[in-house]
Amino acid sequence: MALLASLLTATAGAQESALPAPVPEPVAETLPLIDQQTAAVKDVVLGLLSYVRWPTEPAGIQVCVVGPTSYADGVMRGMVQASGRKVLSQRRSYDDAQLGDQCNAVYLGLLTDAERQTLFQTLDGHAVLSISERDLGCSVGSVFCLNVGSPRVSFEVNLDSMARSGLRVHPSVLQLAKRSARP
Amino acid sequence: MWPGKHPKHQFRLPLRQILYRGHLGMALVAIFLAGLTVSLVCLLTLRAYTEHNLALTARSLTYTVEAAVVFNDDSAVRDALELIASGDEVARVTVYNDQGRSMAVWTRSTEGARGRLEQLVAAWLLPPENIEPVMHDGAKVGEVRLIGSGGPLTRFLLAGTAGMVACLALTALVAFYLSRRMVSRIVGPLERLAHVAHAVRRDRDFAQRVPPAPIAELDELGKDFNVLLDELASWQTHLKTENENLAHQASHDSLTHLSNRAAFEQSLSIALRNAADEDWHVAVLFLDGDHFKAINDQHGHAAGDVVLIETAARIRSQLRGKGVGARFGGDEFAVLLAPLGQAEDAARIADDILASMVQPIHLPDGTSVVMSLTAGIAIYPEHARSPDDLLKRADQAMYHAKRRSRGTRSLADQAEGKDPRQQEIVLVSDSLSPDPTARAVPIGPGPGVERMPDTKPAATGYVDDAAPGKLVAGSDRGT
Repeated sequence: MALLASLLTATAGAQESALPAPVPEPVAETLPLIDQQTAAVKDVVLGLLSYVRWPTEPAGIQVCVVGPTSYADGVMRGMVQASGRKVLSQRRSYDDAQLGDQCNAVYLGLLTDAERQTLFQTLDGHAVLSISERDLGCSVGSVFCLNVGSPRVSFEVNLDSMARSGLRVHPSVLQLAKRSARP
Repeated sequence: MWPGKHPKHQFRLPLRQILYRGHLGMALVAIFLAGLTVSLVCLLTLRAYTEHNLALTARSLTYTVEAAVVFNDDSAVRDALELIASGDEVARVTVYNDQGRSMAVWTRSTEGARGRLEQLVAAWLLPPENIEPVMHDGAKVGEVRLIGSGGPLTRFLLAGTAGMVACLALTALVAFYLSRRMVSRIVGPLERLAHVAHAVRRDRDFAQRVPPAPIAELDELGKDFNVLLDELASWQTHLKTENENLAHQASHDSLTHLSNRAAFEQSLSIALRNAADEDWHVAVLFLDGDHFKAINDQHGHAAGDVVLIETAARIRSQLRGKGVGARFGGDEFAVLLAPLGQAEDAARIADDILASMVQPIHLPDGTSVVMSLTAGIAIYPEHARSPDDLLKRADQAMYHAKRRSRGTRSLADQAEGKDPRQQEIVLVSDSLSPDPTARAVPIGPGPGVERMPDTKPAATGYVDDAAPGKLVAGSDRGT
């Protein structure tokens, strides 16, 4: 699993290395930007999932991808956490009433405000981690909001949403997120 | 130790210096050994703690950077490194991600001699690198590599060395002070003892005593020394009185306690020497008892002794310390008057002495007797300049007086050119030829009675008068 994880993460965010890396990464160097971003998004999502604790820990984590997305391909391929827990992904509609029951996490693509309201109304009262692919300011309801740069991916956190979701998130992630939120 | 093996000990160190050196050396060695041991133990302990601390720092770094490594956030890692490693215990820390890529490096700037020293100490005492894995969800996601700085250890070494040097200096001072106290306690009494011994040897000053000392052995030594001094002092006093007695006996007549002939002659020569320097006059009185032999024979030797003692006492009382009286033996006395004012003074004193003899002397058997004295006076420098001549002239004058009349006195120049002995010898040899001088000699019982007691009173004065001349030249004068 560690090997797989390392292979997966190997594709993400290795370009900022100031020092000569002990292990050369020719693959990462030559990948197109969109692929690098996709891999980075997947790593971040996987990392966030590893720092979140649900009220009742699911045996496998179900990630529901809602709406049109730009960087969710890596997430869609399915992942395995370092602990060995599988992360499964499937596309769902924003008005799927089962979202709150069947999803542990929701990856939000590009949604209109109305669609987003509908979605969060469905999720209300469920312990579901919401991650927006693109939401500057992270003010509309998602717990985490990705900020996909080129190629770095940072994220912000909405503490109100986090409190409402009933999830527990490791403080060091919050620290990183806050840091990310800063200009 | 062996005299044969150490022929020369030119430099003898004083006890004070030996004690100083011993104390200082001992104190320095002790503090150095103790300080070295404590420093080594402290260094090892500190090294262990530093190692432990570095490991803890590395581990806490792994916790701090865990999320940042998971999210591959290099700047977050860098911030965490700065936060944690900013103390001076860390020289360099690097965080690697799972692929072995260095995410952030934090290096402490160490420059100058201090930095080089710290690096040296770290290379010498600290492990080369602490490696701690960054774990997340039970899997290794990265690595923290931490190199310790020699800063704290260097500080400790520097402070320890400085402290030890300061302690050594302080110890030297304290040791010096303490040994000074001890030395003054030990050496002080010894020096006083030596001082007293030296004073006793040099000045014969037996009055000095060794003062009490604070150390028991030295005090005992001082007490014994003082007792020894007491004994020496009493022995010295005893010897002195003994010597004085002997000297008195040697220079005085045991019966009358007047000076004897030898002492008189010594006094005379001293007086003449002084007189020559100071231009004084000196007089010698020669006194001879009249009819002493008869008294001796008639009343016994004890009575003779009484007469002699009384005669000496009267002479002495007349002198009143102004001259030296002496007994030459038998009934012959002499008086030295120096310095003498005038010749008349000598005659006056002689007259006083002769007059004092008029009083009868009481003898033990209840009777009393009168012994007159006949005196001859010689004066320096008129009559003679040497002691012998002066005595001789006085002697001649006495005989001159005796011939003329017993109980009188005669000045030397009155007998000038008329040596009674020569006259007497002439008388003896030329007894048949009448000599006016010989006739002038007074005739009486005197010389005959005195000097030839066993012979019957002579019928003729000539025979009687001739006898003293022979006797004077012979036996009687020698006594």
